[in-house]
Amino acid sequence: MSKEEKDARFEAELLPVLDPLYNFAYRLTLDEDDANDLVQETYLKAYRFFDYFEQGTNAKAWLFRILKNSFINEFRKKSKQPAKVDYSEVEGYYNTDDVEGESGVATTSDMRTQSVQDLIGDEVAGALNALPVDFRTVIILCDLEGFTYEEMAKILDIPIGTVRSRLHRARNSLKEKLEKYAKSMGYNS
Amino acid sequence: MESKFKEAVSGKSERCNDTDCEKVADLLNAVVDGEVTAEEQEFFNAHIEDCISCFESHDKQKLLKGLVSGHLKRIIVPESLALSIKAKIQETV
Repeated sequence: MSKEEKDARFEAELLPVLDPLYNFAYRLTLDEDDANDLVQETYLKAYRFFDYFEQGTNAKAWLFRILKNSFINEFRKKSKQPAKVDYSEVEGYYNTDDVEGESGVATTSDMRTQSVQDLIGDEVAGALNALPVDFRTVIILCDLEGFTYEEMAKILDIPIGTVRSRLHRARNSLKEKLEKYAKSMGYNS
Repeated sequence: MESKFKEAVSGKSERCNDTDCEKVADLLNAVVDGEVTAEEQEFFNAHIEDCISCFESHDKQKLLKGLVSGHLKRIIVPESLALSIKAKIQETV
């Protein structure tokens, strides 16, 4: 394969994965600069090992696997501590009690309808970020990126049985964190 | 009459037993992720038609998955990233 061919294939097959890859990196590191570095490192490695990539196979899963390995092997050690999200701070804020109390003045029904989607998104992000990175990872791969259990097993180098049990524990953990919020939003959980 | 009352309180019908509920609980994630066999799906569907508490667990699990897939905001990739990746690659080759 000539260099021109390699570059063209690299751009056509691997660069379209940039968006999900960057999102994955951000959800792992919780820092935009770190996500940037991690994604660049991943693409450099992918280019170096591009000959081992079989054309037409799952480019997205291949890149995710490289990124996850980079994160574990090198990046985790040298990166800054991920920003700690203090979930307990936001937890009480949207509580029904608070909303109906004096602080409810600021939360008019107009504001509620306008920003309710944002609030839910923020709350989900806060709860997700508060999970241990292994739990966060399986939920992102499964629910956000739509990987199958088999693909997740390959990306994470673990048996499918471990994917199932990790996902089970991760969702229970996330459920627990979101339960209070869900109740305040009127979901009967 | 009495059994109907029990059924309403516990959310379980006579056809429903705890072993089946346990099986359904084990399948819950695989079902919402579309990772079950046709037979497992059939068993699951038949069970939740009769068992209110398992029906509700299924609903909750779908909701949880939907919260992540439908509400978590995607982060916008910095415009310069694709270019700097290409530049870095040309530098190192």
